[in-house]
Amino acid sequence: MSHPLVATTNLVKTYELGGETIHAVDGVSLTIDNGEFVAIMGASGSGKSTFMNMIGCLDVPSSGSVEIDGIPTSDMSGDDLADLRNRKIGFVFQQFNLLARTTAVDNVAVPLIYAGKGGEERRNLATQKLIAMGLGDRLLNSPAKLSGGQQQRVAIARALVTEPLMLLADEPTGALDTRTSEDIMEIFQQLNDDGITVIVVTHEDEIADHAKRKIIFRDGKVIEDAPVTNRRFAKAQQGAEA
Amino acid sequence: MKRSLSSRISAWLVNISIAMTALRTNLMRSILTTLGVMIGVFAVTLAVGVGSGAQVSVLESINSLGSNMAILFPQPDSEGGRSTFERGRLTTRDARAIEREISGVVDVAPQLRSSVTIITSGNTASTSAIGATPAYGLVSNINAESGRFINEADVRTAARVVVLGPSVAEKLYGDFDPVGETVRINRVPFKIVGILESKGSSFGNDNDDIAIMPISTVRQRFVGDTLAGPDDLHVLFVGFQDGIELSTAKREMTELLRDRYRVRDRDGNPFTIRTTEEFIQQTSQVTGIFQTVLVAIASISLLVGGIGIMNIMLVSVTERTREIGLRMALGAKKSDIRNQFLVEAAVLCVIGGAMGLLLAIIAGRALTAYADFPVPIGLGISIGAIIFSALVGLVFGGWPAVRASRLSPIEALRTE
Repeated sequence: MSHPLVATTNLVKTYELGGETIHAVDGVSLTIDNGEFVAIMGASGSGKSTFMNMIGCLDVPSSGSVEIDGIPTSDMSGDDLADLRNRKIGFVFQQFNLLARTTAVDNVAVPLIYAGKGGEERRNLATQKLIAMGLGDRLLNSPAKLSGGQQQRVAIARALVTEPLMLLADEPTGALDTRTSEDIMEIFQQLNDDGITVIVVTHEDEIADHAKRKIIFRDGKVIEDAPVTNRRFAKAQQGAEA
Repeated sequence: MKRSLSSRISAWLVNISIAMTALRTNLMRSILTTLGVMIGVFAVTLAVGVGSGAQVSVLESINSLGSNMAILFPQPDSEGGRSTFERGRLTTRDARAIEREISGVVDVAPQLRSSVTIITSGNTASTSAIGATPAYGLVSNINAESGRFINEADVRTAARVVVLGPSVAEKLYGDFDPVGETVRINRVPFKIVGILESKGSSFGNDNDDIAIMPISTVRQRFVGDTLAGPDDLHVLFVGFQDGIELSTAKREMTELLRDRYRVRDRDGNPFTIRTTEEFIQQTSQVTGIFQTVLVAIASISLLVGGIGIMNIMLVSVTERTREIGLRMALGAKKSDIRNQFLVEAAVLCVIGGAMGLLLAIIAGRALTAYADFPVPIGLGISIGAIIFSALVGLVFGGWPAVRASRLSPIEALRTE
């Protein structure tokens, strides 16, 4: 029980580009515990996305190690990593990444296919998550018939449908207007209150301020790792939490 | 994590529904790709059908000769042995000896053959004349449709009577039934006593283009001076009971005739014996080759169709790289991605295959109806065609699918 949810040790990712070796992530060691709400910040090219892709088991480190929920991932096969992502990690993307011409329910149900759930169970679980996201009346809409905010909520429902331990969100508000962004961050805060670890990659301070902890990257290294002092709350909760 | 059987079935169903969505998304492209497979399966299925049709129609025409039969010719046998006879022999006395001494013989039907010209008041027809005995009708299962066949009295008296094949009768008289009419055959007047049942045609050879006369009449009037002896024959049909081993009967007949002609041990036969069994074997071999060649040629079009599938699947994988990355991020294993694209290729091919099969059945029916050529495309061939189409999908979709499954999740996700 005492192990952290995410632990990286000397994490390095290098690319060869035009004969030069680029250290996208350059020796990062840090831990993230259960129940944290972390914002990973940095300018573009700082290595924040690469770092997140590695702790999300989407990308393989050049050296160093990642442990998820106490499990070392270095020696895992592609299929084992797929299984780990399926069960423990929910992804939310900037561009939503919903399947076109596919209903909201079917989009949310996709991870359950790979979890080996049957058709009826998939539909039931997906429907529950969509209702929880306030999209009970949009179950059969395809992405083209949903607003950006609604699409991102479908994507969050999809990320949550396998009951993962953590949500990894890469610029989740990057394609949304300010008000909708606030709505999405409110959802993240509620989910975090309910116990899910949330890790958000962003370059916007206003978004990062919704988190409890801020990790700032520059040139592949962590230059700052501190609690958020003036935590920002989405409107609905502001009074209650203050 | 082990997945249960029901969840696996469910995963395949999901793959089929993903495939249908993807195919609908690029409807025109899917249709054109399917067209290639459709044409390929159509060609192969029709080739298989035509091949078996050829087999069936050859066997039918062999069986129409009479199913258990040997045919003897007075030609020195080309099969093995040293040929020491310039001219073979076969006589009515040989026929009687066979009937008397070989077991299982039902009937012997000696024949003489000649080409004749038949003239009526207005029309002329050239045809092949068969000088026969009533036994020919029994052995070869030939009957008169109207009038009667040659009878014993005709043969005894060398009567000038003729039984016409339906084609000859039609050429001379059209629809009119000419039984009782008189014609001139090589300038000799003959009475038409019967018209034969139609035997159809095999391989462009009209079985109804014949005229049957008593063997004695043909010998006297048409071929007498060309024969080596007064009772020589051109052909001898020997009909056997059902269940008689024809190869044994052939050996017995060979021994008997060799004895009769005092052939020395190492010399070849002055006669040739062929059995229906041998005809069936030979023709099966020939039609088998015919079918193989036909199918091989047709397979080229299926190959082209398959390459079309591979091409379009590669395009599809490239276009949907981002979707593949997303599915991998959400937990899809290599096999999940591979299966998804395999199913898509197989669905394309099975749809094309089903349409091709349908077309082949229609074309087969048309061939049967308009060209009188049987094209049997039964359940076996149909199921085979569908399974084969799915296999084409798996083979030609295999490489694109494996390529898709080997993508790195992050590379795939980053693709624009």
